[in-house]
Amino acid sequence: MINPPASKKIIDWLNTRLELGPLFYFAHKKTVPVHKHSFWYYMGGIVMILLIEQVVTGLLLMVYYIPDIRSAHTSILSINSQVDFGWFIRSLHSWGANLMVLFVFTHLFSTYFMKAYRPPRELTWLTGLLLLGLVFGFGFTGYLLPWDEVSFFATKIGVDIAGKTPLIGEAVANILRGGTVIGQNTLSRFFAIHIILLPLLLLPLLGVHLWIIQAHGMSAPESEPTDVSDKGEFEKFFPTFILKDFMAWILILNLLAILVCLWPWGIGQEADPFAPAPLGIKPEWYFLAMFQFLKLMPPTVGPIEGEQAGMMFFGLLAAGFAFMPFFDKGKSKRRARIATWFGQIVLLGFIVFTLWGWIS
Amino acid sequence: MNYPVWVIPYLGGSWAIGLMAVIHVFVSHFAVGGGIFIAITEWMAYKHNDERIYEYLKNHSLFFLLLTSVIGAVTGPGIWWTISLVSPNGTQLLIQNFTWFWALEYLSFAAEIPTIFVYYYTWNRISKELHLKLAFLYFGISLFTLFFINGIITFMLTPGNWLNTGNIWDAFFNPSYWPSNFLRLLIMLGLAGMYALITSSRIKDEEFRAKMLRYSAKWLLPVFFIGPIVGYWYFSNVPQAAINTIFTGIHASGVGNFSILARAAYLALFLSGTIIVFAFVGPYLNPKGFSFKTALLFLLCGLMVTGISEWTREMLRKPYVVYGYMYSNGIRKDQVQKINQAGFFQTAAWATASIPTIPEKATMGLVSGKGEILFRYQCMSCHTQTGYRSMKRLLGERDRESIRGFLEMLRETDSKKNPYSGIMPPLVGKNEEVEALADYLNTLQTPQKEQVKK
Repeated sequence: MINPPASKKIIDWLNTRLELGPLFYFAHKKTVPVHKHSFWYYMGGIVMILLIEQVVTGLLLMVYYIPDIRSAHTSILSINSQVDFGWFIRSLHSWGANLMVLFVFTHLFSTYFMKAYRPPRELTWLTGLLLLGLVFGFGFTGYLLPWDEVSFFATKIGVDIAGKTPLIGEAVANILRGGTVIGQNTLSRFFAIHIILLPLLLLPLLGVHLWIIQAHGMSAPESEPTDVSDKGEFEKFFPTFILKDFMAWILILNLLAILVCLWPWGIGQEADPFAPAPLGIKPEWYFLAMFQFLKLMPPTVGPIEGEQAGMMFFGLLAAGFAFMPFFDKGKSKRRARIATWFGQIVLLGFIVFTLWGWIS
Repeated sequence: MNYPVWVIPYLGGSWAIGLMAVIHVFVSHFAVGGGIFIAITEWMAYKHNDERIYEYLKNHSLFFLLLTSVIGAVTGPGIWWTISLVSPNGTQLLIQNFTWFWALEYLSFAAEIPTIFVYYYTWNRISKELHLKLAFLYFGISLFTLFFINGIITFMLTPGNWLNTGNIWDAFFNPSYWPSNFLRLLIMLGLAGMYALITSSRIKDEEFRAKMLRYSAKWLLPVFFIGPIVGYWYFSNVPQAAINTIFTGIHASGVGNFSILARAAYLALFLSGTIIVFAFVGPYLNPKGFSFKTALLFLLCGLMVTGISEWTREMLRKPYVVYGYMYSNGIRKDQVQKINQAGFFQTAAWATASIPTIPEKATMGLVSGKGEILFRYQCMSCHTQTGYRSMKRLLGERDRESIRGFLEMLRETDSKKNPYSGIMPPLVGKNEEVEALADYLNTLQTPQKEQVKK
């Protein structure tokens, strides 16, 4: 009698105890459409690997970081210069955060233009938008933690902008600051939001997002066949697609390593709340478009403040994205065109205002 | 010192050499590794009488021929042209030392090019046995180009006993010659596999495509399993002071205690590690999903590792062009005392001839004065005025006296008095020459015309 290989024995042992049958069945059945836009399917996986990297590096940074305005800056300096490979971990976290935002944007717009928000995937789209909001939250709260000059004043501007939101703005700004000025309370709150509140919100939401994706399968653009009966080409998720996903992750981690090793993340002067704001202070690139747009707003628009009007406009844009699955259900070509134009205008506006903010 | 200086604004001479050399390394390593790949693969085709492999090799050898004989042949002589203009004293030393070896290297190269042409243009025109012999002939010749040039390159970092004996055999078979030969050979095999992945990914027949992708991926195995051992052998033959350079640094990151050299070394290690995983999960486990575009990205990672490793090796030599013998600005170590006593311009014929007869101030900076000529001869092999490793940026807010004090420190050869002594050549010359250099460097901070107005 031939003994089964060790790997099979282990799988059988696990299967008996964990009832893995449905999982194996799912893995066996799951397929991914193959077409000329398949490239965009890798974006979600890339965001996932960057999220894992952020969690791991974030945990390591927490070992040495001190969320106290008298020690925060010194602790980051120590991480950068005294802790073994501290510069590497911190740069991975900082560069990783930027890449993650970039790929979340890419994922969002690629799914948007492939019309992946249409029924029955409305909830996938909405949970995705909420996840984008959480990623912005991570970026915003994490930026203050080094407590250097730029992060301090950029956060001040950011909180002031949030304060312009109609009705709830001032209350939100006060809660974030923990008072009327940015100080120890703000740092403590941002730290708590960054490492506890946001992860607690993100993990279940991400779980729901992924679960719905598995339930409905990968969405294919209208121009491509949607199932096997349409004679579309498909590939197995396990192992074909996942191995390709793995290659994309390696390439992204390589890109991250190049950025980290050739341009390690620095730190500016320690923040001095009583010093005047340095000239030309700007927020992180992903908030630049919003920042530049608000800078151009007139003092008043009708009866309301210009910046408040700007914030209302951004609220409308966000609402437009959230409402899109209920507007463009795939039944009307006119509505589909309007949805595409809306996305194109927002994307173009984002790029133009970001570049404008960058050079001005 | 006895040659004119080639001034390359913004980019600097080191980048001119670097760019040319890095492109050449990418192609020349393929020329050798690819030669081995072609010979072994054709032998495999002959053994199994597999026409599909022959057909693949025919296409692959066209790609090989075009890449190696065009880019390789242009950048190879290009390197020697560039180094002879940027670092003429170093080139003179190499030519004088290695005249015959260099001639042999050229001879091998001259044989290599026609052999690959004959190889390609005799597909289906001569017998399979004879064609296979041609493949192995190219394999042998290309190996000779490696063996000859490697002696010259390794000599620059590890001249070994040559420093005492002056014997050419000591220079050629220097301490890092053999480990470097093996290390390069392993890298060449890996690169050959990566280039072959590109051509294999273009094969139409799915089953044969998968077979060739798996086969090509296996060419990466030697460098990853034997490479670390040979790498250890290589580094154990490199001077400890040079290895220390990696971890003490030439440029601090500004915020950390790590040098760009250390970071580059970590990056090379990281990329190397991911390449083998990539080769395993990509072309080996999932050949169907390994596209042409992915193969290009994969090769880009491989070339990046090669480029970074070559750059690190070049930087290890700092502050020398020939370790322990000649500094990177062409001044020999044993000349330092003499030049300090007699003056730089007394010992440098061409530099002396370049001094203008008109007083420097009267020309309003339009004619190079002594200070600028000193800058060109002693600093410009690594620095530029306002571009790469910009002196203007490095001097920062220093005033004239502070610059003078800094230059005085650079004259010291004792590392306790001059922290730059391990990474920069000492400044040589008499006091008045150092004063002229300080005057010139001060003009980089304050434009000369403004000074004249004052």
